[in-house]
Amino acid sequence: MIPENSLAVNDTELNVTTQTADTTTATEMQLVTFHVGELLLGIPIEFVQEINRNLDMTLVPHAPDHVRGVINLRGEVTTVVDLGKVLGFSPTEIATGSRNIIVRFNEETIGLLVDSVADILTIKTAEIAETPANVPAGDGRYFNGVHRTGDALIVILDVEEVLATS
Amino acid sequence: MLIDDPALLAEFVTESRDHLADVEAQLLEIEASGADVNVELVNTVFRSIHSIKGAAGFMGLEVINKLSHSLENVLGKIRNREMVPTSAAVDVMLKSADVLASLINDIDNSDSVDVSTEIALLDRIHAEGAVELPPASSEAAPAQHESSPEDGKLAEPAAATPEPTATSQPPAEVTPAKAPAPSAPATSTPHESSVRVQVGVLDQLMNLAGELVLGRNQLLQTVGTQDQEGIQGVAARLDQVTSELQEAIMQTRMQPIGNVFNKFPRIVRDLSAKLKKQCDVVMEGKEVEVDKTIIEAIGDPLTHIIRNSVDHGVELPDARVAASKGATGTITLRAYHRAGNVRIDISDDGAGIDAKRLKDKAVAKGLITIDQADQLSDREAIMLIFHPGLSTAERVSDVSGRGVGMDVVRTNIEKIGGTVELESEPGVGTSLQITLPLTLAIIPSMLVRCRGARFAIPQVNIVELVRVREHEVADRISFVKDSSVLRLRGSLLPLVPLDRALKLLPGESSKSTSESSGTRHIVVLESGQTRYGLVVDQIDDSEEIVVKPLGQHLKSSSCLAGATILGDGHVAPILDVTGIASGCDINSTAEEAAEHHAERSATTADNTDVQSLLLFANCEGDHFAVPMGLVDRIERVRCDQIDSVGGQELLQYRGTSLPLLSVERLIKAAPRAESRNVHVVVFSVHGREAGLIAPQLSDIRQIAAEIDGDTFREPGVAGSLVIDEQTTRLLDLYELAQVAHPEWFVDKPKANAQGDRQQTILLAEDSTFFRKQVAQYIEGEGFRIVDAADGELAWEVLAAGEEPIDLVVTDIEMPNLDGLGLTRRIRGSAAHSHLPIIALTSLASEEDHQRGFEAGVDEYQTKFDRERVMNAIHKLLERVPARQ
Repeated sequence: MIPENSLAVNDTELNVTTQTADTTTATEMQLVTFHVGELLLGIPIEFVQEINRNLDMTLVPHAPDHVRGVINLRGEVTTVVDLGKVLGFSPTEIATGSRNIIVRFNEETIGLLVDSVADILTIKTAEIAETPANVPAGDGRYFNGVHRTGDALIVILDVEEVLATS
Repeated sequence: MLIDDPALLAEFVTESRDHLADVEAQLLEIEASGADVNVELVNTVFRSIHSIKGAAGFMGLEVINKLSHSLENVLGKIRNREMVPTSAAVDVMLKSADVLASLINDIDNSDSVDVSTEIALLDRIHAEGAVELPPASSEAAPAQHESSPEDGKLAEPAAATPEPTATSQPPAEVTPAKAPAPSAPATSTPHESSVRVQVGVLDQLMNLAGELVLGRNQLLQTVGTQDQEGIQGVAARLDQVTSELQEAIMQTRMQPIGNVFNKFPRIVRDLSAKLKKQCDVVMEGKEVEVDKTIIEAIGDPLTHIIRNSVDHGVELPDARVAASKGATGTITLRAYHRAGNVRIDISDDGAGIDAKRLKDKAVAKGLITIDQADQLSDREAIMLIFHPGLSTAERVSDVSGRGVGMDVVRTNIEKIGGTVELESEPGVGTSLQITLPLTLAIIPSMLVRCRGARFAIPQVNIVELVRVREHEVADRISFVKDSSVLRLRGSLLPLVPLDRALKLLPGESSKSTSESSGTRHIVVLESGQTRYGLVVDQIDDSEEIVVKPLGQHLKSSSCLAGATILGDGHVAPILDVTGIASGCDINSTAEEAAEHHAERSATTADNTDVQSLLLFANCEGDHFAVPMGLVDRIERVRCDQIDSVGGQELLQYRGTSLPLLSVERLIKAAPRAESRNVHVVVFSVHGREAGLIAPQLSDIRQIAAEIDGDTFREPGVAGSLVIDEQTTRLLDLYELAQVAHPEWFVDKPKANAQGDRQQTILLAEDSTFFRKQVAQYIEGEGFRIVDAADGELAWEVLAAGEEPIDLVVTDIEMPNLDGLGLTRRIRGSAAHSHLPIIALTSLASEEDHQRGFEAGVDEYQTKFDRERVMNAIHKLLERVPARQ
């Protein structure tokens, strides 16, 4: 119920803001940014419940490819999704930088396994551009646009799309 | 005008529900007592309705107020003995109570509901009394019809009905009158969002919470001081408090099963009235408490079963009388605790299930083939009722045949960890047993490992644990194509390697479970009708686990029932026993295995007999075996307990002295090794007890090796066989005793001649060894033996008629025609059906015995137990002449 609505809202916001880029009342949003494969990704901070290094994953038989396993998150059995796998990269390798970004989706807590967490940025929604066609990883349906900060390009991840369709 | 205070309104709803919850049962009771009005009871109902009326009036709930007012009026009249509560009147009152309940459940819209019909009916009853009930009250009439032929209690009010002709018409009117009534859905229990908890339990919870806080404080303090002993103390305390807390919290969730049962009298009453049947409901154990989730889950399956009992089980009154049963059928509901579970028995004294009709139906629907149907026993056939797509109802009524079959009932019950069993006897009745866990939240389970990962298996599905050691693998596990089967006590159990079922990748910690060498750990599981062995790498421990749901991304796996968090904080998936079975196509594996087994028996006919042998060594390298079936018990004794008196070793034992036999004194064998303790194998021979000294016990094994009856043959040694590449001599305990103590056998009956003719016994046995062995001891008692190497040959001997056969002794497992087949053929032939038949087995389960007796076997004996075999022969032969 929530995903479709908010998805629609995001879309319209995007359209509106990209077309009227000079509007002075541009809203701001906070992004949690992180690396997955060669991409710098960002997700709106509202989704994020916590970021942890709880990587003690239990494999689950018959799980879809992109599900890495489950962890014990303070007594909740929490599914961990390998973002690298979802986006068509090779499976994320567990290294010192690896983190689980715990997000809330559909009343459920889900972990997103990422290579490393970068930063928390405040950006103006007006500065979000459409995803260029040359961004690797799939057909771009998991992306909500891009944001350029200095020489870095942050691809904004559509968490709901990732979790609903994967 | 509705009072605008949600809290007050909510309280009114809760209170009114409480009042109404009891009203139904009370009204039924009022109906049952008929003219003999129980004023106290009526008063109770009156007060309940009166309270609702009063509160509704205060809250401005007009419709509820009016309806309860009319209902109260009727009750008032009954209370004052101004009218008799007929079935018809009670019917209207019940319907009104239903409407009242539905109004209260939807309190916000209650004022817009039209209840004029109910009010009109009630008012008419009130005005005219039960005596002059107009035919217009269509609801009432069929019930009246039902009550009129009923015996005793209801005859009186029914007799008061002036128009018996009315009975033939009303059924037609029932339907339109019923359609607009919103009462039907209201009978189902409203979903409770709050639970009532005893104050005592609440106090206990509070106390425990206090203890928990104390424990925490202690822990925090002790951890600071690094006092190891102190920490252990605190841990023990916390452990105890947690367990108690768990129990107390569970207590708050427990509800009496009566909450579900209570709606059944009404369902049965309405349904039997509709079907023109007469049914009583007897309920026992309403106070048995189970978890609230189970109460909620069990309602629908139980309702379905009860409806089935009334619809298909209980016969029409005429049919019942014709079958010399009382016109009124009884449905019994019984709840009780058993072995940590809750059992619910639902039985009726109806017609039972017609196994044949069920088979025909299943064949007609293409669920099974005719051949399969022929092979099904009646007991197996009635289990067909759980097959999806089979409804026993000959016609589709609105009672059954709504697409919801017993298969759904079974699935729903299994979903909550329960099981259903069914028994039925034609003409006597049907009985269903449901076994339910007390709770779903915490379940006892067994932890296993496979490829380094841990899994939990619910204990309720586990039948037993089997360990097959490496050297036994070849004997006990056979491979059929890709799958394997375990030989377990004479039957074949399909095996499922867990790693393959779960498609686990090879972990670092272990190799493949299925192909690796070493000991196999097998968890024998049961789900519904299927039984299979799950092969795992290691069996850890049993643990009570808390079931946690898996996230949406993992819902698709049918092999998992959830996950749990273990003591060390790791997550372990919980296996779904049913899911794994269906995922692996167990049944076809089992069939293939059986075929394969049959082939094997046919080709290697000589050694299919599996013997249970006790293995021991007298000294290093000198191995012996004794048939387990002859062993009474095994004792471990100190050597100094053994006395030697005049060359005879005796064991002072339970106040008497037990004569002992030692191998090296009786047969060619090396003397036993010196040791402090020995084992004594106690067995009976010729009415005495004797003990065989077995210095080092090695094992008890099921062995299918071929026995060589020549090489080592001497009195006391039956033969030899190779076990684990070691030659092992098989001892004949009977002969050993005979060698040691010939005086025990002097009074042995000899020469069994009937008249001047020696009696002849036909022996069918495929194993050369046993044919010799058995023939020898039977001949030793003066009988003549005609032997045959399989059932077919034995039958030819009989059919030829050249030999005057007096008795048949047959092995069970034989090529061409097995023992059961031979028995059936003998019993089926006019010339030979009188012959006594003794079946000889190596290993026999209860089931095998049952099959044997069904085929017509008179006696079942173990091959090695010559005394019993001979006794059986004598006994059966004594019987025969009397028959001739």
